[in-house]
Amino acid sequence: MADSTEQTLFILAEEGIHVELTRAHLDAGAVMNKVKSPKAGAIVLFAGTTRDNFNSKPVKELQYTAYPPRALQTLLTIARTMKENHGLQGIALIHRLGVVPIGEESILIAVSAPHRQAAWRAGEEALEECKAKAEIWKLEEFGGDEGGVWRANRDGAEGVRVDSKEERIDGFA
Amino acid sequence: MSSRPPPGHFTLLYFASATAFSKKASEHFESPLPLTKLFELLESKYPGIKENVLHSCAVTINLDYVDLDLDQGADAEPVMIKEGDEVAIIPPVSSG
Repeated sequence: MADSTEQTLFILAEEGIHVELTRAHLDAGAVMNKVKSPKAGAIVLFAGTTRDNFNSKPVKELQYTAYPPRALQTLLTIARTMKENHGLQGIALIHRLGVVPIGEESILIAVSAPHRQAAWRAGEEALEECKAKAEIWKLEEFGGDEGGVWRANRDGAEGVRVDSKEERIDGFA
Repeated sequence: MSSRPPPGHFTLLYFASATAFSKKASEHFESPLPLTKLFELLESKYPGIKENVLHSCAVTINLDYVDLDLDQGADAEPVMIKEGDEVAIIPPVSSG
């Protein structure tokens, strides 16, 4: 999987819509270019970056895993709904998988619309929908004896501890 | 993503906390299996998985979410997991 030709796992695209899961470094400029349109007066770009702590506990690194075919369908549904409800010209949702070093982007969302209000609203709503629904999971690695924790977005809870690194099995990271 | 199940079996996929508990990304089980028996089967193989993991999980069959509410009424056809199906345990998600 480390082969650069296999960096992009999955893409779904249709008119004005691009959703993708990738192991590659995310490129904000490339994502913006996917939604550019002469009919758009605004592009809103959101970049979610990996934080170095959870409730002030230091996090060493983050790892994302997904159920790719299911997650892509969910992202596509979100993109179609946002495009329809907010009259977007374009929308791109891209999530990175595997290890994402602290401070790097784990998700990029770009939306374009004729006017800025719709773009702002759609960008925020798209992110909240992704966080609530996309079949993607974050493992926070605290390092040392602490091990890692699978986070759950919906309740801000501590999540489920992973016993040790050796016992981690991950088919899709 | 996982090997094809042998005849008379379905594939079960685990993710995140479910993988951490079963220590597997996937495995095969005999089909057909009523959906209502799935969590019992897993609890017998992985004691504690119901309380620690499954209670907060959703389930998909061939990418579609299925209703785990057992109270389907006496006349309702029980959902069966069939040969070759891809079933997945979906823990609470955490993208972004």
